[in-house]
Amino acid sequence: MPPPGGFESVKYKRNLPFRGPGAFAILGGVTLVSAYGFYRLGKGNLEKRELEREKVWSRIHLVPLLLAEGDRAAYARHQADIALEKAIMKDVAGWEAGKSVYNNSKYESPRINIS
Amino acid sequence: MSSTVQSQFVDAQTTAPPKVEEIGATSGPLKSAAFFIGAYCKEYNEDFMLCKAENRDPAHCLKEGRRVTRCTADLLTKMRENCAKQFETHWNCLERNNQEYYMCRKPERALNSCMFEKLGLLKTIPGTPEGQKPIHEVENPVYTGVQK
Repeated sequence: MPPPGGFESVKYKRNLPFRGPGAFAILGGVTLVSAYGFYRLGKGNLEKRELEREKVWSRIHLVPLLLAEGDRAAYARHQADIALEKAIMKDVAGWEAGKSVYNNSKYESPRINIS
Repeated sequence: MSSTVQSQFVDAQTTAPPKVEEIGATSGPLKSAAFFIGAYCKEYNEDFMLCKAENRDPAHCLKEGRRVTRCTADLLTKMRENCAKQFETHWNCLERNNQEYYMCRKPERALNSCMFEKLGLLKTIPGTPEGQKPIHEVENPVYTGVQK
């Protein structure tokens, strides 16, 4: 005997809930995001090159100033060295203070700092 | 004996009246002013570097070197007279940000415009590709500080 009101209908329909966007949508999305990322990366690389040039030029502009200051200090120290050498070697006849050990006029930065 | 002789001679040399006042500015202000130094003292700088190319001896280019230093001192005085606030803001920003220009574009623009208005000095970066905005004038750069 059927229950009062009859049997309920047989559930034969497939129950497949929506499981997110399809494969091609995901692939497309990932491609888009990556493309934007690479675009920014490329732009950033070009920009980095320019930033580096800016930095290098800021240093180039300062080179003469710093070199001039260093040269004055080096010159003063060298003169002091020569004077000291003269004082030490005053008893040696024919000694030339500050004479290069090389037989040419090319500049050699001092290897030994006396003072 | 040697130490007394030494100190005597070093002191005699280094305490002699200097012919030029050294700049004495630290790296921050110098970096902030670098492009203006390059613009303002171009002739003296080039003269000095050409002289150095002739001969590396420090004694060879002392005169040109003094001119470079005087020119820079002159520029720094002018900057302090005309754009003291912007200058100070910019180099303080550089000091706080690892001395990177790209972290300090806002104070830099204020300083640049002030320098152009008051002293007519323009920051130009040599070698910028044709038709491209120089990097310090780009509105929306990729590289910015994390904190605006």
